[in-house]
Amino acid sequence: MTELSQRPRTAESAAAVVTEFFDRYRAHDVDGMTDLCSITARLSYVPVEIWGKQRVLRGDGTVGTVGKPLWTGLIAAFPDLSNTVHSVTSNDEGDVVVQADIEGTQQLAWGLITPAGRHYREPHLFIFHVNPDLLIDSIIGYWNDAGISQQLGHNEVD
Amino acid sequence: MTRTPTQTVEAFLAALARRDVDAAMALVDPQVTVQVHPFGLDGNGADVLRTVLADLVRAFPDLIISVSQVITTGDVVTALFKADGTQAAGYAGAINQEKHLDIDQAWRFGTAGGLITEVAAYWCQAQLYRRLAVKRYDEIAIA
Repeated sequence: MTELSQRPRTAESAAAVVTEFFDRYRAHDVDGMTDLCSITARLSYVPVEIWGKQRVLRGDGTVGTVGKPLWTGLIAAFPDLSNTVHSVTSNDEGDVVVQADIEGTQQLAWGLITPAGRHYREPHLFIFHVNPDLLIDSIIGYWNDAGISQQLGHNEVD
Repeated sequence: MTRTPTQTVEAFLAALARRDVDAAMALVDPQVTVQVHPFGLDGNGADVLRTVLADLVRAFPDLIISVSQVITTGDVVTALFKADGTQAAGYAGAINQEKHLDIDQAWRFGTAGGLITEVAAYWCQAQLYRRLAVKRYDEIAIA
């Protein structure tokens, strides 16, 4: 963390921060992931929407209030959760775009999906922004939740 | 003068927003690689992408593309946009129930020489089916 943040922000150093983020995610080090983010870092997981009778809950908020609980819950439900990073592209303004597969084997309930010991692997696209202090201040994630549901044996469109 | 990666993708998106598939495809390399993850589609060639775009425009003839961000990282351009429209024909296996669609998407474009050489499209098919009133993934065509 200190070593990373002492470097000036360039395309390369911004990419290094995000690469480290995925290394820590793979190691299930949620506190370490959060340490790479600013205290007010925004998070938007676009596919996350839970339809209630009167409102829709979305995966929008901060890393601290939405990201950290979500990552912690995901790791609890999928104890072998892992990621494979396929591409990282970046620019000197701190934008970093990552193509990665996220995968895991379900052991606990995840949302409305009951555990059946099934495995999923789904392509994800993440758009990060890294600030001049080399801290992540924005994460946007896209993936196909239907793909995950079907791989886990859940065929209802919730 | 060759278009920049950003100009190339912005022109592609502008053409798509006009529902002008031919104009969009004029910006695409004939050997383009195409991944449309929600469809499980992994193919090569302009005809593959043309079919994806044509199906979208045919199913949602009032399609509106609202671009929120265009991020250029070298030769790669990532566009975040919302696709809005009213279903008028079958799409992705879902029968037409004249439902309104609004789906946030991210498309990652690779470019070279003023043409799009790679497309990887990401959106959530659960959101799409929810809006089109599909109840089950294993019975998509049954309303």
